Amino acid sequence: MAIFNLQKREIECKVVYYGPGRCGKTTNLEYIFKAYKKQIAGEMVSINTEGDRTLFFDFLPMGLGKIRGCDVRVQLYTVPGQVQYSSTRKLVLKGVDGLVFVADSLEIRREKNMLSLKDLQRNLKEYGLSIFKVPLVMQFNKRDLAEQGIPLMSVDQMERDLNRQLKVPTYTGSALKGAGVGDTLKECLKLTLKNLQKELKWSS
Amino acid sequence: MAEYTVLSGNLEFLCLGEILQLLGNNGSSGILRLKSEYKNEPGLIYFKDGDPVSASCGMEKGIGVLYSFFGWTEGDFTFSGEEITDENMINKNRMQLILDGLRMLDDGEIEKIGPVSFEKGSESNSPKKAFLPIIRGPLVDYLYVVEEEDFLAGEKIVEQGKHGGWLWIILEGEVDIFKETESGTIKLLRLGEGAFIGSVASFLFQGNMRSASCYAAGNVHLGVLDIQRLSTEFTRFSPEFREVILSLDRRLKQVSDRSIEVLMGENKIDDYIKDKELVIRQNDMTNRASTITKGEACVVRHTPKGDVPLAILREGDFFGPLPFIKIGHEPYDASVYVSSDLESEPIDHIKLEKEYRHATVTFRNVISNVANGVSVTSMLAGIYLTETDAVNF
Repeated sequence: MAIFNLQKREIECKVVYYGPGRCGKTTNLEYIFKAYKKQIAGEMVSINTEGDRTLFFDFLPMGLGKIRGCDVRVQLYTVPGQVQYSSTRKLVLKGVDGLVFVADSLEIRREKNMLSLKDLQRNLKEYGLSIFKVPLVMQFNKRDLAEQGIPLMSVDQMERDLNRQLKVPTYTGSALKGAGVGDTLKECLKLTLKNLQKELKWSS
Repeated sequence: MAEYTVLSGNLEFLCLGEILQLLGNNGSSGILRLKSEYKNEPGLIYFKDGDPVSASCGMEKGIGVLYSFFGWTEGDFTFSGEEITDENMINKNRMQLILDGLRMLDDGEIEKIGPVSFEKGSESNSPKKAFLPIIRGPLVDYLYVVEEEDFLAGEKIVEQGKHGGWLWIILEGEVDIFKETESGTIKLLRLGEGAFIGSVASFLFQGNMRSASCYAAGNVHLGVLDIQRLSTEFTRFSPEFREVILSLDRRLKQVSDRSIEVLMGENKIDDYIKDKELVIRQNDMTNRASTITKGEACVVRHTPKGDVPLAILREGDFFGPLPFIKIGHEPYDASVYVSSDLESEPIDHIKLEKEYRHATVTFRNVISNVANGVSVTSMLAGIYLTETDAVNF
């Protein structure tokens, strides 16, 4: 649930990047941090968690305007997938306002994607959230690897595997080169703010 | 000091990470005080404009102390708004502190302060073998300590099979609990400060046989508890409540006996549940607790590696959940099978809970200590299922 800071007249919401280990969650955030330098408040926090790093920074979306006279500040997080990091996961996922699920397009990661998505559903449930209700966007990452002849799953197949029931917006991406990163984030922010307005019955 | 308190609460409800975020968002200046039953000294964190600038606990100061507070997952906190003029000892980003602290907690680099912790064995890299649970208790009420005793490292405090009615509380140091079996002595677990040595059956004024041996793990300082006083309190409870306490104690003995069987490779699960009917399924929701008046019941935990028998319950024993006793058994973490001739009576758990709330703190500590013992020993049984390599003494 977003936090309203009346002193600063700011609405702070939380967007979390989730996905199997090495799928490119951190690459997404690193690219955002580099490419949208002007919209970043403060430094990037990077924690070395086993398997994948955990990243965090504040992002000030441009062009979304003010909501009821308040600025919007977005906290962007990646969350460590390993079972042992339950305290970190709890802090990060509790009160999450929007989610990006980064799926790995490599054929050999097919099962990992599905397991991670299931895991996300279970974790959200633990904090009283439903994966069908939280604003969610999916990114099929690493599409560029096809050029190197690495076997990738087709977008159709990934849609079938991961998005048959959820039916959320999906984007293809190559986070390393930045392709699709901005679009994914923008769509997620759009959904997140829309949802906030709906929840607060502010819809115009 | 109370008049300055602007925020207070429970650490189980709001963890330190969340409090730091809250104070940060608010840009608050002042002192956050943390209180844990398991620590003599309060923990203090100083904030300037929402950022933690220093932390202390007793004589210790600095960022390491701040990180250690992430292990205080139980207890209370109060925040008082004050002007802080101290020098900044901590200059790290607030979010970095939070995420780092939680990572260290999850990685086991920070000790979790609470009733149970685990010591990592130095002799082996295998996480399973390395488990030596340590059970602690809240700090002691000295009113109940009639005498103090010291034991040197390795000295025997209690011998399995001997009769004895004393009940001790560990004031300083740690004590190892061993179970004597036909094929040797097995180290089960370790008790730390605030834990009790002895059985609730001591309150019955009759000969009580020790069910395990215990030795001083280092030099220990024990308090002999005023058994007279505790017994008097015990006799004032309703017969139902007394029965539940004694049944809980029997369950602890059952669980340690069952774990030892599993450890010895003699998992008798099939014998135990033969001809029995499943009445509570693990993970199912039920709030009905009953006392057995006839027949037998068996508590079983289903694990990915197989089924583990935890306890055989008989006449006078309770089964089903009692919300004020957290033993980690049925219904969330174990199933119950009953014999066909089972007869039982429902337990009024609301009445019992009321009685529990009215008991003295020391008595409640005794009960929760037994409950922690049950829950930890049950976990060991699960570990033993795949680990037949006993830690021999």
